[in-house]
Amino acid sequence: MTARSLILLILLATGLLLDPRPTGATGNQNFQFFAPPAEGTLPNGPLGRLIRQGELIFIHTGQYAPRYVGNDLTCESCHLDRGIKPYSAPLWGAYGTYPRYRSKNHQVNTLEERIQGCFRFSLNGTPPPVGSKTMKALIAYSFWVSRGAPVGLYLKGQGIVRMSKPARPPDPLRGKAIFEARCSLCHGLDGQGTQSDNDQVAFPPVWGPHSYTKGAGFYKVSKLAGFVKMNMPLSKGETLSDQQAWDVAAYVDSQPRPEDPRKAKGGKS
Amino acid sequence: MVVSRSGSGVFSPLALAGILLGTFVALFPSRARGADTEAALIAWGHTIAMQGNGLPGNTACAECHRINGGGMPSVGIPRIAGQTETYIYREIRGVQEGTRYSPYMDGIVQNLSRHDIRAVALYYSTVRTPKLPDPASYDPALRELGRRIAHRGLWDRNIPACILCHGQDGRGIPPNFPYIAGQSTTYLMGQLISFAVVRRKDDPEGLMRGIASKLTHREIKAVAQYFASLDPPVYGKISEKNRPDRLRLIPEKEIPTP
Ligand code: HEC
Ligand code: HEC
Ligand code: HEC
Ligand code: HEC
Repeated sequence: MTARSLILLILLATGLLLDPRPTGATGNQNFQFFAPPAEGTLPNGPLGRLIRQGELIFIHTGQYAPRYVGNDLTCESCHLDRGIKPYSAPLWGAYGTYPRYRSKNHQVNTLEERIQGCFRFSLNGTPPPVGSKTMKALIAYSFWVSRGAPVGLYLKGQGIVRMSKPARPPDPLRGKAIFEARCSLCHGLDGQGTQSDNDQVAFPPVWGPHSYTKGAGFYKVSKLAGFVKMNMPLSKGETLSDQQAWDVAAYVDSQPRPEDPRKAKGGKS
Repeated sequence: MVVSRSGSGVFSPLALAGILLGTFVALFPSRARGADTEAALIAWGHTIAMQGNGLPGNTACAECHRINGGGMPSVGIPRIAGQTETYIYREIRGVQEGTRYSPYMDGIVQNLSRHDIRAVALYYSTVRTPKLPDPASYDPALRELGRRIAHRGLWDRNIPACILCHGQDGRGIPPNFPYIAGQSTTYLMGQLISFAVVRRKDDPEGLMRGIASKLTHREIKAVAQYFASLDPPVYGKISEKNRPDRLRLIPEKEIPTP
């Protein structure tokens, strides 16, 4: 076998991991997603500590990185299972694909810059500087959960599902009925979320002053629809029809929320 | 809602006043809940718990759940002390309507009016009692697995961490998500199996049916004994943010279909 055909073979084999970026959600049973290193294999010493710190920031962002967060959300609110669950823009799907060109700012962005974007737009906060402890810890954690993931490839389950156009235009009114039936148990009829008995955020707000801003990825109905389709109601992903996911996303994004920090007067930058 | 009482000849002016009051309270829960009405409801709830409401079949709840709501861990009768009023009410309604299979409770609750249920639910939501010893066997080999399911879930099967919905340490997220900490192993296993085989189907949106049906027996045992080993919560005030009218449960049959 020539070296060339070997390379071809390897490429083909890794190609099996490639995501054809499904349009419309498809079932994902029987498919192995990329698996992060098993628990309990975290290295000891400074690297292990940094990774653990990053994990804590990811789950309890407001508690471990308070000066960078401006609302009730955490990274895990949108990147489920500590940034590991497929189709909720998992870290392992991102790590090997940055730096990457983004049409949002017409630049090639590093992973740090991408994370800064989530702080600014999704957490309505101040982005931690690239050299800050917070950023270093988050990068270390991303590095860890992506250990062994092929570089430069879009893996199955990365990002958010790209929804194909719905049969009928998304309708917030139909969406309202779906929201009340399927979402209000946790997020509240008014979208403001639920508190635990000791006044911590239990279920996060999906609109209003403590939710993501109009600059966030979820403020795009198609993105939110893709997230909801695969992940919501919690543990019941893929139970809404595509149309219902579009409609409920249109409703959620039609509700009031903080301005895009790029446009807000006197907003944080 | 009070029709079921009309045949029983208890329409003394006092009872009538009680019923009217009950209706009023049921319709305007937060406003009408003056100290008096709440006390009267709790007193009536206490009576039901002690001796039943006097109608045929209605045994005192205390015979099984004890007057302080501690239950009987050895035979899997649940602790209900401090579970929220909303939740207790919903579970009894579920038994009445047959969405919650419960051979023990079935006959007992059929003759409770909604006002009775509200009263007894309110009563048990206010009582406090320490955790009772659980004689169920504890398998130390399953400790880590139980902890893991509780705190991390089994996401490769789309099972979130239990604590996401049942609150930190299984304390519950009042009013709709019950506490499961400090409940007995026997009871927890029984309910998980009941959800899995769809004998219990009163869970909103089928959330627990979905989760329980994906757990193996070993995992059920592990997670049940984990939560049984924890202490049940004592709620302070339930946050105003979690008003039941904000976190409405819509009956399954009213959910729009695709
Ligand atoms: C309100 C929801 C929300 C929150 C909160 C949030 N993100 Fe994101 N994040 C998104 C969305 C939406 C995307 C875009 C995914 C896509 O376009 O495929 C994204 C993308 C990312 C990406 C790139 C993923 C990829 O595949 O390109 C990373 C890394 C990331 N977020 C990290 C974080 C971190 C770290 C935090 C916490 C500081 C955070 N996010 C908080 C919604 C959120
Ligand atoms: C059983 C409770 C539950 C139900 C029902 C539910 N969610 Fe969620 N939702 C959650 C939880 C929990 C999170 C945060 C995940 C985490 O922290 O791990 C979340 C996160 C979200 C987020 C991202 C974070 C934010 O607050 O913006 C959106 C958007 C969302 N849900 C929308 C919906 C929609 C739309 C529905 C109805 C189709 C729905 N959810 C139903 C529990 C629920
Ligand atoms: C004969 C014994 C018995 C009596 C009497 C009884 N219960 Fe129960 N109850 C049970 C058992 C056993 C269960 C749990 C298993 C099941 O659902 O069948 C239960 C479950 C419950 C639950 C659900 C608890 C949970 O955590 O979901 C509530 C609430 C409850 N009972 C309230 C009452 C009230 C109020 C009364 C009095 C009107 C009462 N019970 C009388 C045996 C009894
Ligand atoms: C997506 C949200 C959600 C998750 C995750 C969840 N539960 Fe539940 N659970 C519920 C709801 C809602 C109820 C109340 C059902 C009802 O009203 O009848 C419930 C009820 C229960 C009950 C019955 C309690 C009682 O007093 O009768 C048990 C036991 C239980 N859950 C165990 C678990 C375990 C163990 C896990 C983790 C494997 C878990 N749950 C994860 C939502 C959830």
